[in-house]
Amino acid sequence: MSSKKPFKEVLREHKTAVILALIIIAGGSVGTYFVIDILNAQNPKRITLATTTSTYDSGLLDYLLPKFTEQTGIKIRVLSVGTGQAIAYGQSGDADVILVHSRSREDAFVNDSGGQIPYGIHRACVMYNDFLIVGHSSNPANLQLGDNITTVMSKLKLGMTEGHNTTFYSRGDNSGTHSKELILWSQITWDPTTAGTNYYKDVGAGMGDTLLITYNDANNRGYTLVDRGTWLTFNDTYTTLNILAKSVDGENMLLNPYGVIPVNPVLHPHVKFVSACRFVGFITSPYGQALIDAYRKNNAVLFHACFGTCNETHDCSTTDDEIVIWTPYQSEFAGLSV
Amino acid sequence: MSNDIIDGILEAIRLLFTFDRELWGIIEVSFRVSLTSTFLAALVALPIGSFIGLREFRGKKTLSNLINTFMGFPPVVMGLIIYLLLSRSGPIGSLGLLYSTSAMIVAQFFLAVPIITGTAKAAIESVDPTLKETILSLGANERQLWWELIKDSKKSIIAGFLVAFGQAISEVGAVMIVGGNIRWETRTFTTSIVLNTRMGEFGMAIALGVLLISIAFIVNYGLTRLQARGG
Repeated sequence: MSSKKPFKEVLREHKTAVILALIIIAGGSVGTYFVIDILNAQNPKRITLATTTSTYDSGLLDYLLPKFTEQTGIKIRVLSVGTGQAIAYGQSGDADVILVHSRSREDAFVNDSGGQIPYGIHRACVMYNDFLIVGHSSNPANLQLGDNITTVMSKLKLGMTEGHNTTFYSRGDNSGTHSKELILWSQITWDPTTAGTNYYKDVGAGMGDTLLITYNDANNRGYTLVDRGTWLTFNDTYTTLNILAKSVDGENMLLNPYGVIPVNPVLHPHVKFVSACRFVGFITSPYGQALIDAYRKNNAVLFHACFGTCNETHDCSTTDDEIVIWTPYQSEFAGLSV
Repeated sequence: MSNDIIDGILEAIRLLFTFDRELWGIIEVSFRVSLTSTFLAALVALPIGSFIGLREFRGKKTLSNLINTFMGFPPVVMGLIIYLLLSRSGPIGSLGLLYSTSAMIVAQFFLAVPIITGTAKAAIESVDPTLKETILSLGANERQLWWELIKDSKKSIIAGFLVAFGQAISEVGAVMIVGGNIRWETRTFTTSIVLNTRMGEFGMAIALGVLLISIAFIVNYGLTRLQARGG
């Protein structure tokens, strides 16, 4: 039989048909992706959590979330970004629930004063760790571990404005750590961003990158503010950096509490509010709290659970309201142990 | 630190051959997104690019300048635009397509179209004008002329496709914004490298980088061979 025509020839003879077929295959497969993705977006058992790099990059969520999925069948998609961005995702309705660390902005997120519809409702304290000030061991600003926070900030300011031997690297990215840093400067009523010093560097980067830049400071005199979780991830790598200031007894300025907030379904009717609340119930339940306390990285504790006790740990004023609201949601996880 | 590079290469080999589920998922997402978007872009851009290259019309110069500008469109800006369109607060947010591979395909499609259009246009224009005259003098109609010119400049067109694919698979800004780097779903080579660097897992980051470069090499090698055979 002469039907054994070379494949190329067949293609040539039916050029139009081949091109049409390619277009149909391409269009069909892309259409299928789109349909699948659109259907997935409607699935109530698939929620989006916008959170900070410090909770995700430390591995905590990869450890915690599968246990939640196991109990509820709800899948959580994690967006690991800065606190500023996570809050923006909550405001635009692109996330169903947020887990962030910047109390003033969390309060603004749930603010309903003047009859405005809040972006999120029923904020709950989940856990805390602390901020540290790290720097090169030469320590030109002469920080002492017993210094209280105003002394520390004043010494850094002096090093930048008068000693000219201290460089402070700021995240400068609207993250929770960045807003904490600005609050710390405001304690000594000084604003480094307008002080006109060349020794205050706004690097506009994430925590890991800012640590790297501090570590690489040309004159070994860099300082930065870092959360303990990120510090524990990198302290083996950046060996010339040391903890030069930390929280002293009776002072909670350097504490770093994390809050979880479901996005308000009144404002964004598409959010999966029920699933989001079940997640908050999980993470604030005795089971979820015990899991957080049990989490270790390089044999170190990263986060301390504090739901219901945040009035004791950092003078939180909403503890009692939180307990009333979230206790019913926690019952689903009763009786589970780590 | 230099040990990280060697460790990274060893880790890359280990992950590849132990069929690490996460790694193969990342490979799958990266390729699905980059190939689909580049292929779709080629379907749209080839006819447009060759048309502009073939015809003379008013405003051609302005259009060419525009295409050349868009060939260097900053990916992160494209990501931001697609984000604003697909966000729940944006005009087509109700589809819920943000943070999906579809969103990534859309962003990379719009980045690839100008690149393929521009190279196709340049390829058609650079064909020897005497060839064009010869084809026409043989009694070809415009459609046949168009097809012959495309065939003649096949190499440059494939090169344009390769450039677009290379940009798509190594791009990080846009896919990070519209994909969200979600584990098991929208994590690609590049976003995964960013994440691992941030987490201090330099070995893993290097491993992924080594794999990305190797795979890009294999794809380029294969297509170059195809190019050579076709020519």
